[in-house]
Amino acid sequence: MPDDFRTLLALVLVFVPLSLLSIGGGASLLADMEHQSVGVRGWTTPREFADLFAISRAAPGPGTMLAALIGWKAAGWTGAVTATVALYLPSSLLVYGAARLWSRWRGSVWHTAVERGLAPVAAGLLMSGGIAVLRTSPGGPAVWAPAVIATVLLLRWPRLHPLALFAASGALFGVVALW
Amino acid sequence: MPAIFVAFSWLGVTSFGGNTAAWLYHQIAQRRQWVTDAEFLSGVALSRIMPGSGGVNLTVQVGQRLRGSAGAVAAVVGLLSGPLVIVVALAVAYTRIGWNPAVRAVLDGIAAAAIGLTFATGLKLLPSGSARFGPLAVTLATVLCVGVLRWPMLPVVLCLAPISIGLALARGRNA
Repeated sequence: MPDDFRTLLALVLVFVPLSLLSIGGGASLLADMEHQSVGVRGWTTPREFADLFAISRAAPGPGTMLAALIGWKAAGWTGAVTATVALYLPSSLLVYGAARLWSRWRGSVWHTAVERGLAPVAAGLLMSGGIAVLRTSPGGPAVWAPAVIATVLLLRWPRLHPLALFAASGALFGVVALW
Repeated sequence: MPAIFVAFSWLGVTSFGGNTAAWLYHQIAQRRQWVTDAEFLSGVALSRIMPGSGGVNLTVQVGQRLRGSAGAVAAVVGLLSGPLVIVVALAVAYTRIGWNPAVRAVLDGIAAAAIGLTFATGLKLLPSGSARFGPLAVTLATVLCVGVLRWPMLPVVLCLAPISIGLALARGRNA
């Protein structure tokens, strides 16, 4: 068995179980990913892992794209794609099955009640997610201010395009950093 | 189908700071009106209690709702391919030239505003209407337990969701 193939197989063996165990989002995955890629497999040094983590946070997309970077470090582009598929495919298949089952009940009294009942919980989970990101962000209080200002602006002027706000906030931080 | 792919590709490369759900609401529910508020919210709830990334799980559900299995594939591949290329390109740039502090600061600033979008979306989707006090209490309890006290999400949801669904059933009967 060639080494490349062996590495790709190892990536699959690491990320498929993580995909199915990662209830509660990316944060709970981080410790496991670090343990596997630094300790068990030696794909990255602790320092490299911390750097890759910082890069994955800065880039757009789901926070768990860190998996792609670990794959890239281990086996280049094929590794990145392999790790991404291994991490997202199993959980996606599961959710797909649940979504199909769920849509079959559409229109029933129960479906409506569950949908209505889940809505307030979901609104709470959305905001809790925002709080969690704020708490772990490296910027500290400097990040809280623009987050709150952006919230107020978006609620006050719903037609304001969020990307314009993102750009303004990014530019502001950039200027302050260069100062 | 291409429309789904394009919409989710754009969503992927512009969802900074872990706010895929809020951005999806803005782009897919509000602008394109492909899903209703109720569908979006029940999707968010399911996406968080199932294993996997919340944003990806939500995307699978919306894709499935729109065009079945092909829709789900188009949406997820669209969502992930852009960020995959960008994140690896950033890593390559990092190993070649190191972290430019200004670039780093710009990305931090974008992430900060993106969190604002998440809060604004949550607040916009707060329960409304005449019988909103029960649901509002549920939202508040969720934020308190999961967001502030950092209790594990799954037990909290498994405890609050049945209460909230019971309330919704009772309201349905009275109406």
